[in-house]
Amino acid sequence: MNDRLDTIWQHVLKELKKKVSTANFFTLFANTGLLSLEDNIATIATPSTVVGDLLYKRFYKELKASLDEQTKENNELLFIVQALNKSPIKEKTGPLFATELNGLSEKDRKTTPILKTEIKPSQPSMIGHLPRVRKEYNFATFAVSSTNQLAFVSSQNVAQNPGQSYNPFFIYGPVGVGKTHLLHAIANHIYMQNPEQKTIYLTSEEFTNEVVEAIKNNDTSRMKKRFRTAALLLIDDIQFIEGKDRVQEELFHTFNILIDQGSQIVLSSDRPPQEIKKLEKRLSSRFAGGLTVDIEAPDFELKTAILLKKAEKYGWELSIEVAKLLANGAQDTRSLEGLLLRAITLATSLQQSEITSEVALKALGKETEEKRGSLHADDIIKEVCNFYSIKPTQLKGPKRDASLVRARQITMYMLKAELKLTLVEIGNILGGRDHTTVMHGVEKIEGQLEGNVHISQDISGIKQLLRV
Amino acid sequence: MQVTLKAEELKNKLGFINHAVSNKQQLPILLNLLLEAKESKLNLSSTDLEIGIQVELSAEVKQPGKITVPARTFSELVNSLSADSLTIESDGSNCVVKTNKTKSIFATMSANEFPRLFEERGVLLASINAEEMKKELNAVVFSASIDIARPSLSGVYVEQEENGFLLVATDGYRLSLKHFTAGKDDKVNLLEGKSSMIVPARAFKEALAMKEETEKIELYVSINSNQIIFEQGSIILISRLIEAEFPNYEKIIPVDFSVTASFDREEMLKAVRICSIFARDIANVIKFSLQKDKIIVSAGENIVEVDSKIKGEENEIAFNSRYLLDALSNLPSENINFEMTGPLNPGVFKTAEDASYLHLIMPIKVQE
Repeated sequence: MNDRLDTIWQHVLKELKKKVSTANFFTLFANTGLLSLEDNIATIATPSTVVGDLLYKRFYKELKASLDEQTKENNELLFIVQALNKSPIKEKTGPLFATELNGLSEKDRKTTPILKTEIKPSQPSMIGHLPRVRKEYNFATFAVSSTNQLAFVSSQNVAQNPGQSYNPFFIYGPVGVGKTHLLHAIANHIYMQNPEQKTIYLTSEEFTNEVVEAIKNNDTSRMKKRFRTAALLLIDDIQFIEGKDRVQEELFHTFNILIDQGSQIVLSSDRPPQEIKKLEKRLSSRFAGGLTVDIEAPDFELKTAILLKKAEKYGWELSIEVAKLLANGAQDTRSLEGLLLRAITLATSLQQSEITSEVALKALGKETEEKRGSLHADDIIKEVCNFYSIKPTQLKGPKRDASLVRARQITMYMLKAELKLTLVEIGNILGGRDHTTVMHGVEKIEGQLEGNVHISQDISGIKQLLRV
Repeated sequence: MQVTLKAEELKNKLGFINHAVSNKQQLPILLNLLLEAKESKLNLSSTDLEIGIQVELSAEVKQPGKITVPARTFSELVNSLSADSLTIESDGSNCVVKTNKTKSIFATMSANEFPRLFEERGVLLASINAEEMKKELNAVVFSASIDIARPSLSGVYVEQEENGFLLVATDGYRLSLKHFTAGKDDKVNLLEGKSSMIVPARAFKEALAMKEETEKIELYVSINSNQIIFEQGSIILISRLIEAEFPNYEKIIPVDFSVTASFDREEMLKAVRICSIFARDIANVIKFSLQKDKIIVSAGENIVEVDSKIKGEENEIAFNSRYLLDALSNLPSENINFEMTGPLNPGVFKTAEDASYLHLIMPIKVQE
């Protein structure tokens, strides 16, 4: 699959994602791809006959509409079964496959990997490095999943053809999703290809300072020259120029000149250009003139993948169960790293060579307590009901349909796990149920949490809704 | 559509067919069963997109046709009926189920919306004794990972061998391996162009749950559709194949050992069960101390002695109790040989009778 088709398909999926629930989206579209697009016939790879047929029967119109819009043509869709090998995350095969037999491993494994924090030498070495740009933020260290794949692929495109593919390139998304990482990665990549080119990376605050300083010293020409000769300009957190008229004007002119000479501009923000208030129209329309992509808050899979990557960076082996545990406890990537470090410190202090689930839980314990205050039992009930499309009265009512029971038990579990309510309290909240009923429910979910993928998916889905 | 059939026969099959009914509320068609009546047969199908199940029942078809019914309500109704036979009728919009004393009406969705389960059966890979296959599979499938984020480990590796298969499953902490040899009456065909594949463990687990009278189970593989089909009697189970690279399992299977212990499976299982009660508080660690004529199984201060014949030097090794319980409950023999080289290398469980099976578990490193 080439990059162009891949990009088109990512855009199509992004549209579809708005219309389909997350869980469905994953089952339906996870292993699909656009194989070819010739003579207005789009061949789409699907993982199995049944998925292909369902897409054809149920989503043909939506897919076609979105694809037609992308290509501005009238396309026919063809679904075939073909396996795609594109898992961006290298599969972890567990400790069994990490050992070498014949005693060699014994020696190696005895050296406890406590805080081997050096970054792996496998990263491409660079001649010097860019001011303000962190070397370790490159594409290889970026964990990709469906929430940030579009941004990732587009960033790679930009880095490979600066000034040609998307200009300006605008990334937006909430805190801690990796915007800055991608900006640094683009800068690093271009710098490695061509170290002579002038690259400027700065935050919008620094940009503001430079402009203000120049005006104060009555020496704007030097500053103008500095920015207007750059081959690559990256400005982080551009939303902070809101309401600063003079800075915006300066940026506007710089912007025009850079685009004209084919220099690449990359911007990041916490919201799309049109939503940055007090930004001149001419600027916001220019910001949106290239490619605007968003990064969503990391989903559960991504958080797990990030944890595994980070753990590797610190020289620790993390089992998938533990990574899941930790991922469930953190909202964004920054808190992920904090959690991981806490777990590592705990494990080190306990003289364990591996982060066990007990250690992870301990690390999480502190984390959840800090958050607890803001969460309310009603919130949990509301979101569980939203998730399963049932009414709170049904949840609290006497009916024992299988679907209601599942939702109810998950509510019990979450009230217990998130709010640490007593069994009696939970029973009262859920329509005066006996505490033994609650105990049974909580235990049932706990028991299935490991084995039943649907349950753990549901719970992480609800947690996402709750933002815990 | 109008069709009459025996209620008992339908009840028997509904339980299994519901295994493949989706629980995803957002794709309503998958909450339905597809009923197709033609040529004195009623076919029922269900799918959750991962696997699909199709069951054939003999029936008296007055008017052929097809319709979908909401799986859960339909099953509940059928299971509550006491009549011997029932009639299913449909004019395309509603579905009516009648017995001599009851009449129930279902809202339905168009049968055309229901996805097709498979295009072709593919090539016959094997026709083997179902009981035998299930027994062997049981000893392997439990080792597969339940983590869908690791596709290759969530399946069972199947490699064709002369007159049989090699089956391997692992979750990265333990591994089961079985050389399955076809029996006298069995038939195994070599598949061209695909000597190995990874079959989702879930498909095997469902295959184990197929309860049919027919002695043989047939396996079909279609490379074009990337699918495997299990067919036994009137049931067809369809699953996709996993497209991934299976880890190199050969390099982690120890070739020699420094000590071997033989023991009774049941006795060891009991010992581990007792210790696992106390292991809960210490990260599920259970220790084996191999001594002259016994294995001391321990969790902290709690010990159980198991009689055993030991050959080789005395040694110690520790495992996660969960993996031990799984292994000891599933090992296909009562007489087990346990082999190890040191506390940090995988421990190997073999059946005493033959060398076609092995199970190995990664030990836990314990600090003294």
